[in-house]
Amino acid sequence: MSRAVQTIVVAIAVMLALLGMPHLGSDYATGIALNVMMWIALVESWSVLSAMTGYVSLGHAVFYGLGAYVVVASWEHLPLYASIPLAGVAGVLFAAAVGSPVMRVRGPYFVILTFGVAELVKYAVLAYESASGVASRILFNGPELNTLYYLMLALAVLAYAIMAVVSNSRFGHGLRAIRENEEAAQSVGVPVVRYKSIAFMLSAWVPAMVGGVMATRSTYFEATQVFDPMVSVTIIAMALIGGGDNARGPLLGVLFLSLLSELLWVNAPQVYMIILGVVLVIFVLLMPEGILGRLARRREGRAHAAT
Amino acid sequence: MPLLEVRQVSKQFGGVRAVHEVSFEVVAGEIVGLMGANGAGKTTLLALIAGQVIPDSGDVLFEQHSLRGMTSDAVCRRGIARAFQIVKPFAGMSVLDNLITAAYFGPIALRSREQAESHCRDVLDEFALTDVAERLASSLTLSEQKRLELARAVASGAKLLLIDEVMAGLTPTEVAAMLERLRAVHARRQLTMIVIEHVMQALMRLADRIVVLHHGECIAQGAPAEVARDARVLEVYFGEAA
Repeated sequence: MSRAVQTIVVAIAVMLALLGMPHLGSDYATGIALNVMMWIALVESWSVLSAMTGYVSLGHAVFYGLGAYVVVASWEHLPLYASIPLAGVAGVLFAAAVGSPVMRVRGPYFVILTFGVAELVKYAVLAYESASGVASRILFNGPELNTLYYLMLALAVLAYAIMAVVSNSRFGHGLRAIRENEEAAQSVGVPVVRYKSIAFMLSAWVPAMVGGVMATRSTYFEATQVFDPMVSVTIIAMALIGGGDNARGPLLGVLFLSLLSELLWVNAPQVYMIILGVVLVIFVLLMPEGILGRLARRREGRAHAAT
Repeated sequence: MPLLEVRQVSKQFGGVRAVHEVSFEVVAGEIVGLMGANGAGKTTLLALIAGQVIPDSGDVLFEQHSLRGMTSDAVCRRGIARAFQIVKPFAGMSVLDNLITAAYFGPIALRSREQAESHCRDVLDEFALTDVAERLASSLTLSEQKRLELARAVASGAKLLLIDEVMAGLTPTEVAAMLERLRAVHARRQLTMIVIEHVMQALMRLADRIVVLHHGECIAQGAPAEVARDARVLEVYFGEAA
């Protein structure tokens, strides 16, 4: 079998297993799978901006939160199939509005600024909610777990596809040039301002819809919960562990970290966060290029040895 | 009809007049040398043409179109590419991918990877970079990086190249080889060039015409032999006694 055929067969097998998941496993297993799909959707989307351009966003929780807020605020007014796409539109519009001013700064300044914007929006929503007298909202008649799972699976596939297409495209090549040297990129004709802003909007779209879906999993809504900075931090940790600037890196990182934290959570709840912290430190110190980067280097090393 | 017209361009940084009312023209196919001491405004002038610095007054016309208000990427897509004095490679990309970026986004605007790659392999060959095509740009020697900087500008398909001190830091043998290469590329691709160079002999041998800047002002322009005899140039370079 050629490599391409192998890849397609594996992809189909994985897809069938994922589609059959809710009927095969328990609700517990479906819950875990839902979680994994959520992180895949988030990390793949984040990678379109941050892995490709080197602008590391520490504020992706803002899109998740806004999406959740849109779905919750339109609860009982709009059906989910309308409110979730609407959440995506809200995320993209917000990214379009803040993108060009925010992307004027680079490096650590960009990291801090995205974090600041996310916190700002969180407190704005919080203030608005309490001013209008709805400190926390209760949601009745949310969709069942299997429906949520399928929605999330669709979003994960969508985010993966976007990243796969972008990373192999001319557009993606331009984004990498921006990462490697923005001034040089501009001087050979890469429309840097437009490209950065498109990447920012693309990376906001799916996370907002993810937030919208996840909002319905809980029976109540609280701004501090959906605009949780831990979402932003976890995305970066997973992307870092996966490594690389293509669609496969995030998959490895998400599987590794979410399964590890699930195992630790079940088996060692007291030391769970400690072990997780140690694992992260080990990765940053010993494998800053991530799992995928390390694999690529080993392959290159072997190719060199062979010649 | 000139390819490039620089009209009364001025740029001030704080109290420093970096470039003051400089005008000159470049005809298609010409190699124009920019000469002047450190701080004379040569690099600023290139940055003004490339759209990386916005002039306080004056205008730059390329093929009769004003470049006013254009960002540097738009200027490049019109047909002007710059090779920087301090090389700016895409360090984490292969040498080939460095060039492909220029072929994708420069004025030549190749859309497919295959087309871009075959175009760029040609250019790599001209700059003796074929052997390092797959290596990361960060792993190159200085001489290779200088060639990459030039090759990338050429790969963009620009008609006008702005070349800032590509010979600086090279050994005499490398300078001679680079001169040969520039001439060959110029002839083969019918390029127009504005070249800044501190290696004076190199510039005199390469350029059809020389523009001399002094404290931001253009004090002389003409054929290399004329400029070398120009009273003001001699005064600036050798003092009153000459």
